[in-house]
Amino acid sequence: MAHFQIKDLTFSYPTAKAKKSLDGVSLSIEKGEYIVLCGKSGSGKTTLLRQLKSVLAPHGKKQGEILFNGTPLEQVSQRDQSAKIGYVMQNPDDQIVTDKVWHELAFGLESLGYDQKTMRARVAEMACYFGIADWFHRDVANLSGGQKQLLNLASIMAMQPEVLILDEPTSQLDPIAASDFLNTVRKINIELGTTVIITEHRLEDIFPYADRAIVMDGGKVIADDTPRNIGKLLYEQKNDMFAAMPTPVRVFYGSNGNGDCPLTVREGRTWLSKTYPEPTISTLPAEELDDEIENPALSLKELWFRYEKDSPDVLRGVSAEVPMGSLYAIVGGNGAGKSTTLKAICGICKPYRGKVKVFGKPIEKYKATELFGGCLAMLPQDPKSLFVKKTVREDLAEMTKDEKKIAEIAAICEIEGLLDSHPYDLSGGEQQRSALAKVLLTEPKLLLLDEPTKGIDSFFKEKLAAILCKLKEQGITIVMVSHDVEFCAKYADMVSMFFDGQILTTDTPRRFFGNNSFYTTAANRMSRHVFSMAVTAEDVVELCQQNREAQV
Amino acid sequence: MKYDAFSKCHPAVNFLFFVGAIGMSVVIQHPAYLLAGIITGAIYYLLLNGKKGWKTILSLLPMFMILTVINPLFNTLGATPLFHIGSRPYTLEALFYGAALASMFVIMMLWFGCYNKVLTSDKFTCLFGNLIPSISLLLVMVFRMVPNFIRKTQQIIGARKSIGKGISENATTKEKLQDGGTVLGALTSWALEGSVVTGDSMRARGYGTAKRSSFMIYRMTATDWILLTVMTLFVSLTIMAASFGQFAAAFVPNVSIAPVSWGLVTYICYLLIPTVLHVKEAFAWHISRSRI
Repeated sequence: MAHFQIKDLTFSYPTAKAKKSLDGVSLSIEKGEYIVLCGKSGSGKTTLLRQLKSVLAPHGKKQGEILFNGTPLEQVSQRDQSAKIGYVMQNPDDQIVTDKVWHELAFGLESLGYDQKTMRARVAEMACYFGIADWFHRDVANLSGGQKQLLNLASIMAMQPEVLILDEPTSQLDPIAASDFLNTVRKINIELGTTVIITEHRLEDIFPYADRAIVMDGGKVIADDTPRNIGKLLYEQKNDMFAAMPTPVRVFYGSNGNGDCPLTVREGRTWLSKTYPEPTISTLPAEELDDEIENPALSLKELWFRYEKDSPDVLRGVSAEVPMGSLYAIVGGNGAGKSTTLKAICGICKPYRGKVKVFGKPIEKYKATELFGGCLAMLPQDPKSLFVKKTVREDLAEMTKDEKKIAEIAAICEIEGLLDSHPYDLSGGEQQRSALAKVLLTEPKLLLLDEPTKGIDSFFKEKLAAILCKLKEQGITIVMVSHDVEFCAKYADMVSMFFDGQILTTDTPRRFFGNNSFYTTAANRMSRHVFSMAVTAEDVVELCQQNREAQV
Repeated sequence: MKYDAFSKCHPAVNFLFFVGAIGMSVVIQHPAYLLAGIITGAIYYLLLNGKKGWKTILSLLPMFMILTVINPLFNTLGATPLFHIGSRPYTLEALFYGAALASMFVIMMLWFGCYNKVLTSDKFTCLFGNLIPSISLLLVMVFRMVPNFIRKTQQIIGARKSIGKGISENATTKEKLQDGGTVLGALTSWALEGSVVTGDSMRARGYGTAKRSSFMIYRMTATDWILLTVMTLFVSLTIMAASFGQFAAAFVPNVSIAPVSWGLVTYICYLLIPTVLHVKEAFAWHISRSRI
């Protein structure tokens, strides 16, 4: 008997008249399966997942049937559903109800009215299994995003669910925390046999381990197969989703590879060394960086900063120079001080030593209206902190009365169709672009971006990249702080490594990632034994093609 | 927080101790007992707060003075007038009485200070969670919400500042108010959205499907039972002493104070319980460490 049996499910929201959010979805999910649900934003993934738990199912017109263990879902009691179907959502913060880690762990058990003895045993068990014991007594407010999400998972696992549904659980986490989290999910699946249904942008980490991948588009299931076959299918269909496939898959099909498609970096390495044992062309041209930068748009000299008098220094001598009209990326671990550097540039944090010069003029010499009116602007990490009005249009109108200008910027950011929506109704990528539009209305010459790719799928990332390129053409200098090495490798002009409160190395992306062996892109890790300086999937594909031509 | 043995005891023990200590201190006016209360309270407060505690204690001193000298202004009873303000006498007895009331105030401040350190919010909710589950959950959620709001407000203000929408130095009051209103509005919609997610997360974990139970992270240990017994013993003895009139003290119109008797000993013993525990454990730790 299938664990979940979805029969011809069709669903539409009451507000959308004719548009079906789910259209004739039929699926069967076996016990213990690990299933990846992929698709662009708005393809109906979340809507489908929410249907699998009655209390979370949105209101709307629904046809078709969902069977859980052979019983129609509506007939399974709320209590059983709460315990047996675990659901982890996207936002780590808002899901947490209580203020202490131990209390949160027990929350579900308290709701179900378990007695002290059972609760004690379950909580202890979960704390050990998830490695929470060290921070068991802490305040939730003091946890990192990764810890919060792990806590959410643990508090659901405490109820011993049979199936675990995860809706983009790592979109708000940094890459290391994200892969930690996904490894834990995999461990649960393997060691406990819990059925896992997960949606994710970061397919690199989960795609190879999934039993099945299901691709959705426009509310329909367009593919349902093993991950290896899905890659092939999407490539043949020229589907937009192909861009989200793991690097080895993209390289393999991009260079018309033969044999079994590699899914992991390890498989990719084996495949590359078999196909190109002795490549004639093994490197790509990598420009060196000019040491002398004339008229830098931004120059930082020995910035030192700490948040409180007695706290340790966050910035410990940050120095950097950013040439005009370039896209400058700063990468580095969590809590290294990257975002603080951006705050120091816009004067939200005041460094106690060192100098910030914007277009050659020290920042203190600017008046606030002068600095933020047409010179400098920052897009914060959470785009929501910029929205203060009921519609995107009103929000943009807060910045300027000039409607022509609004229309122009809206066109650049491709949000013309979203102007009358409430900012909170938009998807992560749409919010990001609307917030960017608001920032651009100040007509900055120097644009600061704090984690612009956080929580955005690969499709929207490409859109964002296209927007950034357009801005660069207009002569705008962009400084970006990011965890997303793939994005930086592909689009940045210069990349800096931030570590221990300072900028350690700066180079062009090729030389920067090409010379790193751990902190680098999947494409580089996969190809570094045969090629050098190939840091994106496109680079590897190009080298493969050059070699093939050389062989012929 | 500084390491404290009493804080590790069961919240019920903590709570009952403070009920006893504060409860007795509000009814006792006998100078010897007041002095005992101040000293024991101050010692424990210092043990909990370290050097920083001195600041609070010293700041209570002017408070004590002011309350003392103010009382005779309102209370004109008393046999020995010191001087007259207009036609109203300012009497020595009323001054004494003021000192006694001020002492009570100081004692209460000290014990409440200790209470705050020892009985943290989670202990409190843990204690009353079983009695009133829904209210205690509400309290817990509020405890979480307040710092969350503060953080989000700062985030919004920072974000607005970095696009030139912050309050400039020479903004008028009206502009400041308008900007505050905008931030508040943004904060509200953000909070509302968050609360929808929180609500979903609660219902997804079975909130409302059964009668809520309450997870107790603390257990009553043997030490806790012993402490409870000792506390009960001292309190009963002190109450007994009170019933013999040992605590009697009247200030106006004439000062008449009962002689000091054994009740003082039981009272002091009771108030010293946390201090003794703290010192004993620190001492035991010191010895066991010196043996290594």
